[in-house]
Parts: sequence; C-alpha cells; structure tokens
Amino acid sequence: MKHRLRTTFQNTNFLVGFSILIILLLLTFVAPLFMQGSPLDMVGTLFNKPGNYVNRMGVIDAPKYPMSIEVDSIRLGAAVSNEEAAQMLEWFEKSELDIEWKMLNPAKDHAEIVELFLANYDDSIRLPGTSAYRKGFTRLYLKVQNLLSADGYVVQVEDSSSDSGYREVTKIQSRDFTNVKDVPARRFFLLGTDNFGRDVFHELVSAIGNSLMVGLIAGSIATTIGLLIGLTSGYVGGWVDNLLTFVTNMFTVIPSFVILILLSYSISSSSRSIVVVAFVIGLTAWPWTARSVRSQTLTLKNRDHVNISRLSGFGTVRIIVTDILPYVLSYVVMAYILQISSAILAEAQLSMLGLGPSTTTHATLGLMLSWSMQFQAPLSGAWWAFIPVVLSIALISFSMNLMNTGLDQVFNPTLR
Amino acid sequence: MKKYGKLLSILLAVMMLAGLLAACGGGTATTAAPTTKAAETKKTEAEKTEAEKTEAEKTEAEKTEAEKTEAEKTEAPKTEAPETEAPETEAEETDAPELEGDDPDQLPRKETLYYNGRQWGPVNSMNPLSNSHNLNMFFEESSLTTLLFYESLYMFNQNDGKLYPLLADGDYTEEDGVYTIKLKEAARWSDGEPLTAEDVVFTYEVNEMCSTSQAVAMKYISKIEALDEKTVQITADKDNYNPLKILEYFPQMHIYPKHQLGALVDSYNGDIEAIKNDYNEDAIGSGPYKPYHFDNTKIVFIRDDNYWGQDESMWGKLPAPKYIAHNIFSDNNAGSVAFQQGEVDMAQQFMPQVWKMWEDGLPVSTYLDEPPYYIGAQMPSAGFNVTRPGLDNATVRRALAMAIDYDQIGEAAMSGYTLPMVPALITRAEPEMAMVDLEALKPLQWTGKQIDEANALLDDAGIVDTDGDGIREVAGVNLVFQVECPAGWTDWNAALEIVAAAGKAIGMDLSTYFPERTVYYDDIQTGNYDIAMMSYASASPINPWLRSYQTLYSDGGANVDAERVFTNYSRYSNERVDELIDLIPTETDEDKLIEYYTELNEIYLTEVPTIPLMYRPSSFHTVNESVWTNFPEANDGRNIPPNILAQGYSIAGLYDLELVDP
Repeated sequence: MKHRLRTTFQNTNFLVGFSILIILLLLTFVAPLFMQGSPLDMVGTLFNKPGNYVNRMGVIDAPKYPMSIEVDSIRLGAAVSNEEAAQMLEWFEKSELDIEWKMLNPAKDHAEIVELFLANYDDSIRLPGTSAYRKGFTRLYLKVQNLLSADGYVVQVEDSSSDSGYREVTKIQSRDFTNVKDVPARRFFLLGTDNFGRDVFHELVSAIGNSLMVGLIAGSIATTIGLLIGLTSGYVGGWVDNLLTFVTNMFTVIPSFVILILLSYSISSSSRSIVVVAFVIGLTAWPWTARSVRSQTLTLKNRDHVNISRLSGFGTVRIIVTDILPYVLSYVVMAYILQISSAILAEAQLSMLGLGPSTTTHATLGLMLSWSMQFQAPLSGAWWAFIPVVLSIALISFSMNLMNTGLDQVFNPTLR
Repeated sequence: MKKYGKLLSILLAVMMLAGLLAACGGGTATTAAPTTKAAETKKTEAEKTEAEKTEAEKTEAEKTEAEKTEAEKTEAPKTEAPETEAPETEAEETDAPELEGDDPDQLPRKETLYYNGRQWGPVNSMNPLSNSHNLNMFFEESSLTTLLFYESLYMFNQNDGKLYPLLADGDYTEEDGVYTIKLKEAARWSDGEPLTAEDVVFTYEVNEMCSTSQAVAMKYISKIEALDEKTVQITADKDNYNPLKILEYFPQMHIYPKHQLGALVDSYNGDIEAIKNDYNEDAIGSGPYKPYHFDNTKIVFIRDDNYWGQDESMWGKLPAPKYIAHNIFSDNNAGSVAFQQGEVDMAQQFMPQVWKMWEDGLPVSTYLDEPPYYIGAQMPSAGFNVTRPGLDNATVRRALAMAIDYDQIGEAAMSGYTLPMVPALITRAEPEMAMVDLEALKPLQWTGKQIDEANALLDDAGIVDTDGDGIREVAGVNLVFQVECPAGWTDWNAALEIVAAAGKAIGMDLSTYFPERTVYYDDIQTGNYDIAMMSYASASPINPWLRSYQTLYSDGGANVDAERVFTNYSRYSNERVDELIDLIPTETDEDKLIEYYTELNEIYLTEVPTIPLMYRPSSFHTVNESVWTNFPEANDGRNIPPNILAQGYSIAGLYDLELVDP
C-alpha cells in the first residue's frame, strides 16, 4: 500500500493534477479570509471592470499633497488618443470654418489640437453624415472640455444659509495628490464585478468550493451505488445478476442528463440547494461504474484465491470485501475521479438551464456563466465575467483528468 | 399547471423507465411487449402536447388588453418558438407576390429596413381575430398600435400625449356622449376599395363577436353606426358611462376590411373557433406595407406603392424603405450581434451597456443621448398575491418594498436605463406627475435599501422569527415565497433576483421561479403565485387612470374569488379605491381629479399591492445608422416618439428616413 502511494506520487501526471486541485482547494479556504462580506453581496454595478476602486468623496476629504509632477500632459494623454486628435482635425475640415489646422500633427500636438477644438467647436454646426457621427463630436467635446483648465475644480455643498445656495468645500488643483491609503472607503476587485455588481473573484472562489462539493458528493454517491451494484451483481450472479444488470442497462440507455433535468424540474427551486442538486446528479451518474465493476468482478470470481476462500467457507460479503474489492479498487478510484469532474460539469449545465441552485443563496460556476451570457458579457467586452469561470471549470476537469491518467499509469502495468 | 407539470415530468421519467424495462426484459419478455409499450408512451406524450396546446390556446384566447401589452414584451427569446409551428399555407404565401419584387433572400440592402426583437418564431397566422397570432409587426394593438399593415383611426404620440388623425379626418366631435368621427376621403384598402364607415362599424362588432382582446370596447358603447360612407357615430352607454374607455380604442383598434375579413367571417356561419383558426392568407390592410415573404428565418413586408397615404391629406409621400424585414433570431445575443454588425437597423431588444457600442465607434444611437437613453413609459412591478397567507399582511409587503435596492435594479438589472424610482402609480412623465399632489405622497414613499427600518417595522408589528429558522412568521405562517416571471426576460429576471436578495436581508425566504411564458400567464391569471412580476398599462392617452384601474380595480370585490382575472392580478380589493376609479373618468374638474388621484396613490402606497421596481421604455428604440439615417431623436424638432417607427405616431419617422450613402 505504502509503495503504491509512493509510486502514485512519483507520477508526474498525477502530481500536477493533484497540485492544481490542492491549489484550487486552498484558494477556496484561504481567499475568503481576506474578503469582506458575503460573495453574494451586490456591491458594484453592471460589469465594473477589474481594479482598485476608491471613494470619490473620500479622495476629497483626504489630506492633499501638492507635488510637482507634470499632470496636464498625463491627463491629456489619457483622455485624447491619436484617433481622437485626428477626429478633432476631421471636425475642423468638415465644419469648413476658417481654422489653421493643417500643420497640426494628430500624433504629437494633442494640447494644441484640443485648445483649437475647444475654442472653435460649435454644437449648432450640422455636419453632413449620420447622427451617430455628429454625436461623436459632441461626446468628444464633453470629454475634453475641462482638460486644459488651469484653475482646477471647485467642490461645493448645498447650503441654504449662503446667498448662492452653495458653500465651497475645497478647490482641487491639478498638482494636488492624495495618498490612496488615506482614503478610507476602498474596494479592490481583482476580477471586476458581474451583472449584479457582485465581486467576481469572491464569487468565483466560493463557486469553485461549491462546485467541488457538488463533485465530491455526487461522485461519492454515484461511485458507491455503482460499486455496490456492480460487485453484487458480478459475484452473486443468477437472477440477482439478471435483475441488477437489467436495471443498470435501463439507466445506461436513457441519457442521464434527461433524467437529471426532469428530476431537478420536479424539485421546487427553493429546495434546490447544493446538496440536493449533488444528490440528484449522483443518483443519475452511476450506471457505467456499475457495469465496469460487474465485468471486472466476473473475471475475478473464478480465480484461485477466491475459490480457496469459498472452499474455506467464508461468507459472500467477506469474500467480496477481502478478495474482490482490493482488485477492482484501482479502477474504482479512477472512475471516482471522472465522476467528480463530470458531476461538476453537470451542475454547470443544469445551472445554465436555470435548474441548478438558486442565484440568491449560492454562487456556482454554472450560474455565473449563465448570467454573464444573459447579460451579453462577450458582446460588451466584459471578459472578466465569464473567462475566469470557463477557465476554472476547465482547470478542475483538467486536473481531475490528469490525476486519472496518472493513476492509470500506476495501476495498469501495460501502460507503465 | 405548475403542479401538473411537475407531476407530468416525474410521470414521464417513470414511463421512460417502464418502457425500457419492457424493452430490456431479455429472454423472458415477449417481443410484442416493447412495441406496445413504446407506442403507448408516444401516444401519451402526444396527448400531453395536445392538451398543453389547447390549454395554451384557451389562455391566449382569454387575454385582455392589459395582458396583451405585456405579451408584446419582446424579450422572450426562446419561449415563443415552441408554440409556433410553421403553417403549411406558407408556400402559398410566398408564391403570388414574388413577381413584383426582389428575391426575398437577397433583398437590396439600401431599400430594406431591418428590425430585431419583434418576432421570435415563424408566423403562425395572418388572422387578426385569432388570439394566438404572433405577428407583432402587424397585429399588435395597444395605445401604441402597430400601423404598418392595419391602421387605426388615430395615432397616439407618447411625447405630447396627443392623438393625431390617421384614418380619421381631423378631430372627433363629442356631444352628450355621442362621438362623431369623419374618415379621410382618400382612405382606401390596398386592393383599391374605399375604406368606409361600414368598415369601422364592422371592426367594433367583429371584435365583440370573436371576443378578441379589443372586445371590451363594446361594453361602453350602446350604439355604433355609419351615418354616411365616411362618417361614424359612436353613442356611449349611459349606464356604464366611461369616456376614457371610449377614447382608449381610437388610437388602439385596427380597422378591418369588411369586404374581405367580413366575407371570411360570414363563410363560417358564426363558428367562432373556426373563424379564429382560419389562416387568412388573403389578408388586406390599409397601411403602407403588405406581407411579402414569410419563412422560418425571416419575415418581409413590401411597400404598397398605391398606398392611400401619399395623398396630400395624409403624408403626401410614401415611406422611404421599400422592404421591411425582420430576421428571426434564436435569442437576444444573436439579435445583438446582428445589430452590432449593421445587419439590423432598428433594434427593439434589451441590450445591456448600449453605450459600449458607440464607444467602440459603431454608428449606434439611442433616442436620448444621455442616460437613461430611453424614455420610461411603464413600471414593471413585483405584484403580491394578496390572498396568500402572509402576503395578505400590508406590513410584510411594505417591509419588502422598503428593503429592495432600487438603485441596484436600475444600475445593474436595467443597465441604467431607468430614472431613480419614486414609488407611486404614475411614471416620471410630466403630464402624469401633474395629476397628483407629489408633496402629499412624500411621507408615504419608501426610498429603498432601508433594511434596518424594514426589520424594525416587522419587529414592531410582532412579525418575528419564533422558531429560530432565520425566517419570520406572521400568524404562524413562515414567510417563504416564490417570485415568478417568464424565463428569458433578462432584465426582469435579474431584477427579481435583487428582490429575492432584499427578502433574505429582512428574514423572508424568497426564491425565484422562471417558467415558460404561457405558464407564467396562467399562474398570474388564476392566482397561482405568491409574488410575480407584472407590468400594467404602458404609455396611453388615458393614463394614469388606466394604470390605476389595471393595478387596483376590484369590480366590487368580484375579482378576489374569480377563477381568472386579466387585470389586478394581485386580487386586491378596496371599496374606496373602486369608488375613486369609477369617479375619475367622468370628472372634468382638474382640482378634483388631482384630489382623487392623490387619494388613490396614498392608498396604494399604504397598502402596497404591488412594488414598482423600475421605469421601462415601451420599446428599446436603438438605431444603427450603417445604411439608414435621419431617425427620430429627442428634441430634433419633429416630435416623433421613440416607438421604433412602427407604433403610434412614430410611424411618421419612416417617411423621413434617408440613406447614408445614396
């Protein structure tokens, strides 16, 4: 046994798969320690992109540090791309105003172009072309209109006691800086937010945990049932074998996913918890295990050591447990791993159909994928809402399959 | 229906197993057994679908106008497909007109205006009297009636709330409950026959006879007659006097040709079911477009170059696109992709983060250039079934209303396409806001996300968790409910998840349930639900009365035990409310009206039979100017509303379209 374990862990395939799985498992246990709130809290809004978010009021309240860093050009560079500079030149050309623009270089003279644009842009000039084309210039104007102002911004609060109705809070100059650490309200979204404004990373970690749980429960159930039926039917034989084979065949013939859908549909959504869904998946996934275990048992049951045990008068159960089970165990472990990975996929598929656990109580990989598709994440470029999920699913099944191949190499001498 | 469905699914599973049992019987079973079993299974399945179908048809047939507008809600992608089997008559449909135009598979792009979001399955009927027809582009009847094929007397403009004459010649006159409408001299059908007062009379009568969704109109009319060829007179029913209900149908009811549809009706000798089941392949209309080609992937209309509207008394010209085409997309995603690629010009479907498209440089615009981009005209609400134990308690309903995060619904579920929610029976449109005393409502309105206050409210009312399961009880009933809305209506689905999350925060266990559309309608009509998304009257010339009526009117409490209801799905009943709703239509004094509406709103906000969640546009009017341009926009001086160039007065925009690249 010890030797077996050692050889197993010396197998690269198994080791890589196992490490991936352990890393994922660790992630699900460790990461939540550093997260605030529940993974289902709707903190952000629709598809906020990944990054560190700081509160804007907090930035104003925080102490300011004037620094001599050239900010204007950075702001300009961030706001005006070469295309946008070219767009402004296009406006000069199309508006047919008397403007000296031809010597300006859209790749270099951003500040001059913006200055000229701000000085001359007139919303009432109707350029030929589509309305969307014209609106592009209006939006551009709104985007750059404050870029070159040297006076900075004035922040006011409503105040009925003052004459203007407003009281000045502070002035923000272009050289003012704030240490992000001084802003009390911050939130870091490693993978942005999903369509409900939930932290995708937090949700993902919790979903991987849930998916692994579904896999383990469903895989255990399926393997246990398969093993029991396979061993009994293979060893006992006779009418018991006929009956069990017949039941197994029946379940093999019906696509198990169809039964899965029907069963999940008949369970009301409120009682569709992770465990219930895992049970349902487990109950539909056992037939192949049963069949293979049965055929292996059939080849084993007439071996000499089994016959000796039988002659010695041992009971059926004992013979199965001590003389047959150890020989099929290596296969069963491999089947178990495959069961786990297919159960995870089945949960994802079910959730995609809206038959999985409910959105408000659990985060699962399938639900995350389903919602991001409904909100057309691929179309609006919100990659963070679905690519990490797809990758996680792929990674889990990949690691399981690697482990399976590794075990196969260890236990199956012909492959060694 | 729901329970039945569950039972059936288990039964089916068992039956499949049983069938296989017989098949796998091995040596002992006879060979005959499997076949009979299998056949039986098949038959029961067939019976089941049959039964479902008739059931669905029945429900559809009993639809009212309120529900009708909801049915037109166009984001039910996959859900509509199953009920629409391609009719055999299709082939005939395509043969005849094919000669006069281009190959429908290769329409000239510069003469075709493409839509999405209006048709999710092949056309199942051309018969406007059938209640299960799915050709929304032709047959939709609401205050924003589709005017491409059949036309109405007036066109409603949701921008200014006014009626503009279409078939009618100028404004109607009203005296003592007698309405006189002149028809335009030029108005005629596409086959050249004149459109006469007889047609209008026939339309009202045939709708009543076939109890279509417009049949209610006749309940308020004692007599409708043709004075001469072009003059119709409608006499209101004095005992049931409701001028609003007469006005409602002027911009809503499609006028049908007596010489064609009437002949069809006569040919069945009063067999209503048979009339409704006729495909009506020879349908003729008076509008600017007629059917050209329908198949499983698209529907195409062609312009009627003899359209009467080119007369100076109407438009004075023909609409710009020669063809109007709508590809049948598999779901919202497919429709959005086609729109982004410029294959669709006029979109009517929910596309989250529409601004990303123009940021990416696509020639895409919405009606408003700034958030909320669209103009909210209706208020999808979470409606309670107030007959359910637990939900009959107004404190519970109010607590949930306080706990919901409306900003989150607006920003996340609705992608920001809504104004901040201010709960009341009115939208944020100026004419509606003028009808109530907004200050008086302030103390009653909730602001949302008031979790602590909501919890305190429940605690004070003695609605607490006594058995320690984390869920409060009222009168011994655990607050465990299902929140329901049709599958695939993305923004509604997401909104209800946010409602469910709010419930969790105040000790209510709410779980979402998204069935097929037909199941959903059956559930809300028969009262087989706890909480469901419902959306009453959209933009209408008679709002906010219509919305109030549809949300609250109980007809003296008759709706509480009714087997099926078509408005007020909450089955809410209140004598004073009924009284107010009866008073408003005949009241002409502005101050009195404000007083009534304010009282109505106060009761609504105290009793909370529904919780308005968002303001939603009547259509998501989004355009791609790859081929066509000069689409209507807010404040462009033309006063054309954002109703996708097809509904109500927005059809005026079709005449102004220009090619980007002629």
